Amino acid sequence: MRSLREIHVIWGRNMRKLVRVPTLLGFSLFQPLLFLVLFSQVFSSMAKLPGFGYDNYLQFLVPTIVGLTALNSAFQSGMGMVTDMDAGMLDKFLIAPLRRSSILLGKIAADATRMAIQSSLIISVSFIMGARFKTGLLGILAMIVIAVLFGIAWAGISNVVALRTRNAELTMLIGILITFPILFLSTGFMPSALLPSWLDTVARFNPITYLVAALRALVNEGWVWTAIWQCLAVTAGLAAVTLTAATRAFRKVIS
Amino acid sequence: MAILEATDLVKVYTGGVRAVDGINFSVEEGEVFGFLGPNGAGKTTTIRIGVTLLALTSGTFVIDGIDVQRRPEEVRRRIGYAAQSVGIDDDLTGRENLILQGRLHGMSNREAGAKADELLGVIDLEDAAGRRAGTFSWGMRKRLDLAQALVHHPRVLFLDEPTTGLDPQNRRALWTYLRRLNQSGVTIFLTTQYLEEADVLCGRLAIIDHGRIKIEGSPGDLKAGLGGDMVTVTLPREAGAGPLEHTRAVLAGVDGCTSVSVHENSVSVVLRDGGAHLADLVRALDAAAVPVARLELAEPTLDDVFLKHTGERLRVDEVRPPSRISGHRMRART
Repeated sequence: MRSLREIHVIWGRNMRKLVRVPTLLGFSLFQPLLFLVLFSQVFSSMAKLPGFGYDNYLQFLVPTIVGLTALNSAFQSGMGMVTDMDAGMLDKFLIAPLRRSSILLGKIAADATRMAIQSSLIISVSFIMGARFKTGLLGILAMIVIAVLFGIAWAGISNVVALRTRNAELTMLIGILITFPILFLSTGFMPSALLPSWLDTVARFNPITYLVAALRALVNEGWVWTAIWQCLAVTAGLAAVTLTAATRAFRKVIS
Repeated sequence: MAILEATDLVKVYTGGVRAVDGINFSVEEGEVFGFLGPNGAGKTTTIRIGVTLLALTSGTFVIDGIDVQRRPEEVRRRIGYAAQSVGIDDDLTGRENLILQGRLHGMSNREAGAKADELLGVIDLEDAAGRRAGTFSWGMRKRLDLAQALVHHPRVLFLDEPTTGLDPQNRRALWTYLRRLNQSGVTIFLTTQYLEEADVLCGRLAIIDHGRIKIEGSPGDLKAGLGGDMVTVTLPREAGAGPLEHTRAVLAGVDGCTSVSVHENSVSVVLRDGGAHLADLVRALDAAAVPVARLELAEPTLDDVFLKHTGERLRVDEVRPPSRISGHRMRART
């Protein structure tokens, strides 16, 4: 009960910021939107390639863009951590009689809410652009949940960088440097069948491949539970590593 | 029983810097106790240990009978803290920042709102309460941060350089708030590098340098402890080391002169019964043909105390060391 109250206070503070400063919402959306519009046009003829397997590139691309939104938003999380450290807000939380876990969980809850809103917006834009969702509203809800969970796991990385460097630009830069290669080394922009074989092998060990596979199934095929469970298992594994590292970095900063 | 008690406090940072090197002090409930010292003396480190933000290396820090290391959460309920660089969310309004503090300390929305409104009145920020804190001037931020530290009625207030960066007018206004606060029963532990601030606010203070307390007492006692008035003989800038040493020797021989110290091109001495012995001192200087550019007789200041115990002057570029007169005038006004 007490923890819930504390988490709610921290969450509410971050939500208020989001309402006050809409750029915080748009910040991670700009690039996915750009990719959505540009790639769906530039690569539209890719759907005609033998072995592509999807009717049009937009249907293929939308799940990737939803995933990318969550990844971008995840790096926003670390930048927020740096801002809070620089502004002395983290100290304010630390000297209040709060559980340490509430400070982190409140932040995670706020990150999750932001990611959910951003994913919904991207999905709405895709719908307007003509994308159709096989599993309907329930499937869209499942997509958002999956993207958010993966985003939270990814946010662990950005918070480790943030807590170690205490530098917003560096957190941003390292975020881009990590996210981009990993994203292109997945099946996000090209189906597995069309990837060079070495890249296909790399993609198999890439967590983003599993995220995209689950989202893509929900958009195009239906409730493919193997893909969904695999994605959730990969997310859980990733989260175990990144959130443990982030918690450790947090403990180091506050001691 | 003391409300604050630090015993053999030591903090060694990773890398080996001994920021706090065996500090002992205790503060009684209702006191205003200050650390006076230059940047890097260990003031902020001591405060951050007290407010549970920093782990100590050895020793103990006990607040209201509670060990900060063992039961930090209970300490947090009893203390308020305003950092030197403040802690404000620029995206929230002044009032929202105060409410957030109340909520963080377990108040309901309504309680926190009422407390916020009350405090906004106290620090004269009612008019700006609905504006984003990011638009506030430094003086307003310092006041808001002070109010934030008070939301939950702390018994002890920790203030790290509460007026650094403020103009004299804002500084005096803040002193007024702090004095009122103290009169209402809040114990205040503050750090400062301003002599005047220490003089005006602190009932008792400790001079701290290189992680150690050099001396401790009330401003009056510390100054009286010098044992007389300060006489400063300043030589012409071009005089050089020889005449300076000569002057030092001459002054050391004058009846009633103690603790001679040299600083740049002047020599300071503490002169017992200054008025009575000044004529002797001047005659001695004259007989020894010392080229005097300036001769001053003054009541001792905390800077003189600082000089005696650390061998340095506490120079802060922003603010000139105060004269006694302005100090008295300020007391009358506040």
